[in-house]
Amino acid sequence: MREAMRFHRRNRRLAAAALAAPLLLLGCRGMPSPYPPIHLNPNMDYQERYDPQEASGFFYDGMAMRQPVAGTVARGQLDIDHRLLFGRDDDGYFLEGSPIPVTDEVLDRGRSRYTIYCQPCHDERGTGQGILFERAGTPTASLHDERVAGYNDGRLYDVITNGSGLMAGYRYPLKTEDRWAVVAYVRDLQQERRTMQAERDARQ
Amino acid sequence: MSAGNGRQPDKTYWRSLEQVQGDSRATEFLHREFPEGASEAPPALLEDGLSRRSVLAMLGSTASLAGLAGCDVIRRPVEHIVPYVDAPEGMVPGIPLAYATTMPFGNRALGLILKSHEGRPTKVEGNELHPFSGGASGVWAQSSILDLYDPDRSKTVRFGDQASSWNDFVSAWTEGDLAPAADGAGLAVLAEPSSSPTLLRLKSALLERYPQARWVTWQPVSDENADRGLESAAGDHFHALFHLDAAQVLLSLDSDFLSTEGDSVRNLRGYARARRVGDNGASEMLRHYAVDGVHSVTSANADHRLRVQSGRVAAFVAQLGHAVAAHGLELPLNGGVPAADIDDAWVQAVAQDLVDHRGAGLIVAGDRQPAEVHAAVYALNSALGNVGATVTYHQTPDTGSSSDAALTDLVAAMNEGAVDRLLVLEANPVYSAPADLDFAAALENLNSAGAVIHVGTHRDETSRYARWHVPLAHYLESWGDARATDGAASVVQPLIEPLYGGRSAVEVLALAALGEARDGRDLVRETWSELLGLPLDDGAGAEAPVQEDADAAAADGSEEADAPPVDPMSLPFPVALSEFEVAWRRVLHDGVQDGSAAPAAELATVTPEDCAAAVRAAGDAANPVVEGEELEVVFRCSAAVFDGRFANNGWLQELPDPITKLTWDNAALISPATATALGLENEDLVTVSRGERELEMPVWLVPGQADHTVTIDLGYGRDFDGRIASSANDEDHNPGRNAYLLRTSDALHVGRCALRASGGSYALAQTQDHHSMEGRPIVREAALDYFEEHPDFATAHSEKPHENSMWDEWTYKDSPQWGMTIDLNACVGCNACVIACQSENNIPIVGKEQVREGREMHWLRIDRYFSSEGESDGLVDDLPHDPQTNFQPVPCMHCENAPCEQVCPVSATVHDDEGLNAMVYNRCIGTRYCSNNCPYKVRRFNYFNFTKDTPEVMHLGKNPDVTIRSRGVMEKCTYCVQRISRAKVDAKQDGRPLADGDVVTACQQACPAEAIRFGDITDAASQVVEAKTSPRNYNLLDELHTKPRTTYLAKIRHPNREIVPAPAPVEDHGAADDASHGEDAH
Repeated sequence: MREAMRFHRRNRRLAAAALAAPLLLLGCRGMPSPYPPIHLNPNMDYQERYDPQEASGFFYDGMAMRQPVAGTVARGQLDIDHRLLFGRDDDGYFLEGSPIPVTDEVLDRGRSRYTIYCQPCHDERGTGQGILFERAGTPTASLHDERVAGYNDGRLYDVITNGSGLMAGYRYPLKTEDRWAVVAYVRDLQQERRTMQAERDARQ
Repeated sequence: MSAGNGRQPDKTYWRSLEQVQGDSRATEFLHREFPEGASEAPPALLEDGLSRRSVLAMLGSTASLAGLAGCDVIRRPVEHIVPYVDAPEGMVPGIPLAYATTMPFGNRALGLILKSHEGRPTKVEGNELHPFSGGASGVWAQSSILDLYDPDRSKTVRFGDQASSWNDFVSAWTEGDLAPAADGAGLAVLAEPSSSPTLLRLKSALLERYPQARWVTWQPVSDENADRGLESAAGDHFHALFHLDAAQVLLSLDSDFLSTEGDSVRNLRGYARARRVGDNGASEMLRHYAVDGVHSVTSANADHRLRVQSGRVAAFVAQLGHAVAAHGLELPLNGGVPAADIDDAWVQAVAQDLVDHRGAGLIVAGDRQPAEVHAAVYALNSALGNVGATVTYHQTPDTGSSSDAALTDLVAAMNEGAVDRLLVLEANPVYSAPADLDFAAALENLNSAGAVIHVGTHRDETSRYARWHVPLAHYLESWGDARATDGAASVVQPLIEPLYGGRSAVEVLALAALGEARDGRDLVRETWSELLGLPLDDGAGAEAPVQEDADAAAADGSEEADAPPVDPMSLPFPVALSEFEVAWRRVLHDGVQDGSAAPAAELATVTPEDCAAAVRAAGDAANPVVEGEELEVVFRCSAAVFDGRFANNGWLQELPDPITKLTWDNAALISPATATALGLENEDLVTVSRGERELEMPVWLVPGQADHTVTIDLGYGRDFDGRIASSANDEDHNPGRNAYLLRTSDALHVGRCALRASGGSYALAQTQDHHSMEGRPIVREAALDYFEEHPDFATAHSEKPHENSMWDEWTYKDSPQWGMTIDLNACVGCNACVIACQSENNIPIVGKEQVREGREMHWLRIDRYFSSEGESDGLVDDLPHDPQTNFQPVPCMHCENAPCEQVCPVSATVHDDEGLNAMVYNRCIGTRYCSNNCPYKVRRFNYFNFTKDTPEVMHLGKNPDVTIRSRGVMEKCTYCVQRISRAKVDAKQDGRPLADGDVVTACQQACPAEAIRFGDITDAASQVVEAKTSPRNYNLLDELHTKPRTTYLAKIRHPNREIVPAPAPVEDHGAADDASHGEDAH
């Protein structure tokens, strides 16, 4: 009898422990911890290779990503056309027009790039009242501003490439052709606005 | 000699001597993919404690087990995101860029495209714009990426035993004790041959500044003999360029122009094109005769091969000269007694063929043959009208050809004390100079009075004797330039800043020649300003903004107060590039200067008298037949590690030799008959002795090797701190033996030696018996005339598959459906695809012990089959004598009805809707059922985590698009699924459908022979469908009804019916046994 009792008691203790263990683990959910999460099975999650933007102890700057060697030319980046590349003519003045023919495809490409990269600040219609202005009050130029509207295409391209004032340069995410496509699209926006304004004026 | 008689069924195919003789280990490999005990820990670990390479392998597994014990390790590691601070224009993280560059190799060059992930080069490909690459590459180019990330490279300038710096070296040279005498007396430069225009310019500058200086060009394995022979016959320094695609008859004399000699990538492309067969059968196919004593890739692909000792090739040339004269070529040659060891009927048939194909034939002599043979070959080519048609000669400026005589003179001068400053550029003479010169002693002698400066990638045998050592930058991290054989000039563009602060050869030489440290890029641009004929205009250019104008204008504006302020942005800003800059960038972009190739030199036709004299001189240069106790010894460069410079490259060490299939070692290669005479077997240790010099090494039997000949590969047995190439404290695991210890000035290529068994044996790791396919009809071949009559021969005799499967078969409705063909008629077994696959797919190096257990990880292997005709023909005393050789690359077949998928208990290997047999690594639990059930034996299992403990620098070169597999996971060829995905994404971004040729697998890209085609088999216009509709197309092991997506095109041989008569016409293949073909080699 006593034997059975002891057995019973031990079983009860085991059962309690078995119940408590998952509760303990569950109790940890959502609690802040200074340690990274437990990760029992490495399962090839961490690879002996460098993915983009990984850190590396090999280089002095801790980056696995390296700069291309200065002066090298990658395939497809011949970049010898200064009109296309810098938006300037042989004498170094900004181009009046675009060095690439403006077609429907170019405008479509320009719209898609504009929507991704420009719209957050400049707004869908180019008024400079985008979400950043709305939420943070970031002063943003209107593309219909007299000053901006007076820029020639080369100047506009230069601003997209190198930035201006608070605006950062977009040479990194936007390829050269895409920047010219955005210029063409902005020109379209401006023209559309002017036409509509003129129509409104005519009606009044 | 031997040749295909045409039909398949009467041939015996075998992979190794052990298999012919029923050796137990080979049989075991046949029946079990991995031998008994292969699943256990390596014996070295259990018996001897930790050996060096087993540590690499074992650490991975122990660390992952230990991981569970410590609490820190079970937590996810903290990882940091480190983005670019200043992101480079035109680079999107995760999308690789491609850069054109050039791999200089001796005085040759191969144009390459380097794939760069975020500024780190990760993969070598051929440059399709470079005429010597055409988009293809070879093993040495492919594996050079691993050399770049070699953790054992020299990391700092050293002065004696101390670390020093480049600045210290510069000041020591310019004002310190290193400065040479004003006229350069006592200064000597020892450099390898180079075609770099910048190096040539600096060499001239050096010799102009120091007129008394001595420049020695030398390389241990070079084409010096060809140069000297050509110079004596043609009167000047020329480079030969073969146009094999224009040839119909080719005779190669001890030459390996398809693999280790000359412009092998270009040669191979031309060769494969010339041997391409139209599928209607009616075609002119190149016929290839080979004469040599060493079984090489080139002779293994010949239609007819005559085995003679290497020293007897000269006698063959003389006999051939008499034979062509007898067959109608106007040469004042008569008489000429045929040598007993050279089959005269064979020579007559070849001579007739060459004379019949004047202007479309070609004779090629190998680099090991003496200058007299090269002179005679040039004369015969000229007399046969081949010069200008199938071979042209070009005068390409280079720094001079390699000269052993100059090296001997240099050593004499050093011993006399006439040299007190020796600059060794890239060369490693202490290891590789002829043994009788005793270069090390000469260096010690010199160091007591002067100084040795060694410039090299590693702290090697030579740097041990150097007072100064300067780390040499890899070609992928330095600016340079090079010319191809025909003079086509290209720039070596760096892909990354020097990892270990190395300096390029031109930078070091500029210091010596110009007396100041100069930047490599400036030096190269100066040279190219001359080459392009355009003035260097560094002031202008996009990177040099001119701010003064704007400031000045602004100042002007402030002076005139009433003028409106000038917007500085509206002012001109010079951005137009100079003419030089535009031309220079175009060269960098394309990888070769357009129109820089020199036209072929106009050479006077050799007179019949001169030709006859050259032929007689070749006859006089022939060695007597080696018989009796003595043996002929042939030193050749390794097909893997070349002359030893690639010895620390694990991919190359583990790359099976094309013929012997040995890895990690060299051996004394002898013929089976010689082995029987000496009572030797594979792996027996022997002592090779040449006079006082002795070397103990294992023997390996190679069918097809000339009797009484020993061939030894150079480049092994290195002695320096390279964890792959050598190991000072672990003699047993040193790859190979150093054959340079036997190589003396009087026998650089061919000599005499004695061989005696020294007792004991040495374990070699060879892969030939691994992954065997049970002796089924695997390779299929026919002679050209048989193929013309029976275009369906490849499938006619194969067992018809049963069409009913135990399983519900997959249906494939969508496009694309991927498929591959491998043309066995094009493949020569050069191994380029194997290394390309290893590089692309992050395939680990496993080490020698693991290879011995059959655990090599190559996803793509090349099977080498020997065949003997009939049941016993070609076997002398049951020993193979003159086998034919077939090569067959075997990747995963991607069966539509895949046996591996049917047995996987965890669905780790599954089919996708494009027909790929995919591996899900995370699901794999390592049962290895799939491997057991795979009839093609293409699955590889990770017995250890082979990558985990590799040094961090090696991770830089891994392909980020491919998962690195852990221990316990099965892996195999994926058809380069990451490339398929990339091509799909690119096509989608461009808004176009995927086109044929968008997806190029790594093996296909590398293949110089264009043997591999890959594409969508539902696209009727695709290349792969075109190949699959060929009558030569067959499925491997079709009878198993696996429906493989990878198929083969059968091999065609083009035998000369004068040598091998056509078989009697028989309808039933069972009656073919009576067709015998006088198979006697001698």
